[in-house]
Amino acid sequence: MNLNFSDEQNLLREQIQKFCNSDYDFYDREDFINTEAGFDPEKWKLFAEQGWLAMPFSSESGGFDFGPIELSILFEEFGKFLVLEPYLSNVVLSGYILDNSSFDKKNDFIAKLISGEEQISLAYMEQNRNYDFKNITCLLEGTDSLSLNGTKNLVLNGSNADHYLVTTNHNDVTKIVLVSKDTSGLSINNFKTVDDRRISQLNFENVEINADQIVAIGDEAEQLIKDAINYGTLCVSAEAVGCMESCYLKTVEYTKSREQFGQPISNFQVLQHKMVDMFIEAELCKSLLYKSMIDMHEKNDSKYRSVSALKSQVGLSGKKVGEDAVQLHGGMGVSEEMSIGHYLKRFISIDSQFGNSHFHLKKFNNS
Amino acid sequence: MELSFSSKDLEFRDEVRDFLANEYPKHVKEKTENGEPLTREDIVDWHKSLSAKGWMGFNWPVEYGGTGWTPAQIYIFQNELGLAGCPPLIPFGVSMVGPVIYTFGNQEQKDRFLPDILNFDTWWCQGYSEPGSGSDLASLKTKAELVHEDGKDYYVINGSKTWTTLAQNADWIFCLVRTDSSGKKQEGISFLLIDMKSPGIEVKPIITIDGDHEVNSVFFTDVKVPAENLIGEEGKGWTYAKFLLAHERFGIAGVGASKRQLERLKEISKDLGDDDLIAKVSQLEIDIMALEFTELRLLSALEGGGNPGAESSILKIKGTEIQQRLTELYVEAAGEFAIPYGGPDGYGSNVKPNGPDYTNDALSKYLNMRKVTIYGGSNEIQKNIISKFVLGV
Repeated sequence: MNLNFSDEQNLLREQIQKFCNSDYDFYDREDFINTEAGFDPEKWKLFAEQGWLAMPFSSESGGFDFGPIELSILFEEFGKFLVLEPYLSNVVLSGYILDNSSFDKKNDFIAKLISGEEQISLAYMEQNRNYDFKNITCLLEGTDSLSLNGTKNLVLNGSNADHYLVTTNHNDVTKIVLVSKDTSGLSINNFKTVDDRRISQLNFENVEINADQIVAIGDEAEQLIKDAINYGTLCVSAEAVGCMESCYLKTVEYTKSREQFGQPISNFQVLQHKMVDMFIEAELCKSLLYKSMIDMHEKNDSKYRSVSALKSQVGLSGKKVGEDAVQLHGGMGVSEEMSIGHYLKRFISIDSQFGNSHFHLKKFNNS
Repeated sequence: MELSFSSKDLEFRDEVRDFLANEYPKHVKEKTENGEPLTREDIVDWHKSLSAKGWMGFNWPVEYGGTGWTPAQIYIFQNELGLAGCPPLIPFGVSMVGPVIYTFGNQEQKDRFLPDILNFDTWWCQGYSEPGSGSDLASLKTKAELVHEDGKDYYVINGSKTWTTLAQNADWIFCLVRTDSSGKKQEGISFLLIDMKSPGIEVKPIITIDGDHEVNSVFFTDVKVPAENLIGEEGKGWTYAKFLLAHERFGIAGVGASKRQLERLKEISKDLGDDDLIAKVSQLEIDIMALEFTELRLLSALEGGGNPGAESSILKIKGTEIQQRLTELYVEAAGEFAIPYGGPDGYGSNVKPNGPDYTNDALSKYLNMRKVTIYGGSNEIQKNIISKFVLGV
């Protein structure tokens, strides 16, 4: 039993912390939110140069063979600074599926992901509302020449993607197909999210699909989606843990400097205990994160169940910590120019993604 | 990082399980499983079974007769006891006064007191709280005056202690007493060991809301205590008291015992088919998992030579909240069968009410467990500690 990070893992954390501290000013970040991409392409290049985009890929694919522990470190640190760059959609979701598939052209696509030249988004959500990725209505039809019809919703970072990994239903067999953004018959509507990210709706109308675009079929495809989502769930949960840590630290700092009734408001016990509660929520979520990331690292059967426990708790705790942070910042907490309200919006977004707290509590109980 | 314990630790766990299966006194096991109250003899038998195995000093170094176990072994031992549903160990000797004596006591005191603690031949109780001193412990007033009589030095004690757990069973009491009221309140406190048979000591029961006699008031009227029973230096008692509190916090989470109760509650809620209760139990299971891994994180830091600081207050706060939550959900599961009330004198009838077995002591446990967020430094005091020492407020 050892829950201490290795020296290498601690170094990685320091490296990411150093970058965030020097290059991730909240007000600069605000500028990038309002660009078309919604993030800073220069930073994305830097991520590639640092090797961060290669982290979880296998060495055969040109990666570092890093796993859930290292990705949790990265996302925890990203969470502290509300990092916008589309690591989740590209590296975690699409990257996982490609790297673990038997798709024969995967190395070309992975190489371009790692170098930051191209972006790929996973399109698996539909209007089924129950976080069920299996009842797919996007239909792939035909025998030799295939044709794709249907709609995919809530595609993360869809507006920046060069390609999409699309889950389809071909005569009741799940198939993942790779579609380029400029394919004829594909129309894209782009939206902003509550936390300033980009999502898209993809409409496929008689889109022609060739056999060499099929990435995975049947059980393999379903297992890949299931595991990619589980991986993504772990990563956003780690991010939420980082957000929680920032929230209580920023709140402590603020209440120490804010004076009312002739003294810093941090002198008031009712505020102190609320901040302690925030700290405790963050620590307990961190403990669940440790369990999940090690379960995934060790490939234990319990990995889905522990991720559900984590995600369920993160959903509840994140909102509680975010709401309390806003409350303790007073009027400043609800002003757009302060970072604190942006953490609350991120918590809400994270809770909604990959199954909310209620969904994962039920999943936890049924598994 | 690695979740599983080493093969050596797992072998050790099996040894503990083996002990619990074969050497844990059967009559104690039966009574505990049936929710029947234990007598003083039952509790002594249970502890003596550990003494016989050489495990009473589970958290002591070898040089004082302890096991010298690693933090992981101590964790496993406590966890297994909880999972097996054993009665809680009486902490006052082995986990409280024992470590104070071997750390701050003189050789004579070590020789005199430590073996009896390890054999459970002496039952200790704790004289800290007073009617006017609870969370503000340093304001205590029980006075100890040094006198010289017949060529010997004595402290003469006057005052009272309260909430003294199982004082009715105790042979000795360790007390914080005031030897000086002139300076800062923390500086005039001394740590004294007092024989409960001393003339002038009176123990009066306090009946708690569950109807049980667990705690007491202890009154001291001109009680003469030989000065050789002073631990360390006069006026340094507060330092020893703080050391003791830090020693006490590890293992306070009670994860093993809570997991055992949770398993039964899961069965009950599924049998009842009550989705609302099932969801509440699932949430509690996640809470317990989070607590368990928080404790393991601290354990891991400790094994790596680190020193878990005020963070361990989380274990007290969440551990006790979970213990209470379990009893609340048992009461909820019991429905109307929660209200026929057993208590120490039975139900006022020769037969038990015919509700499901888990309903019999649901409410008495609920009432009894209200204490856990109050004792050992109330949860509000724990939050003050975290606020000051972790958040730096």
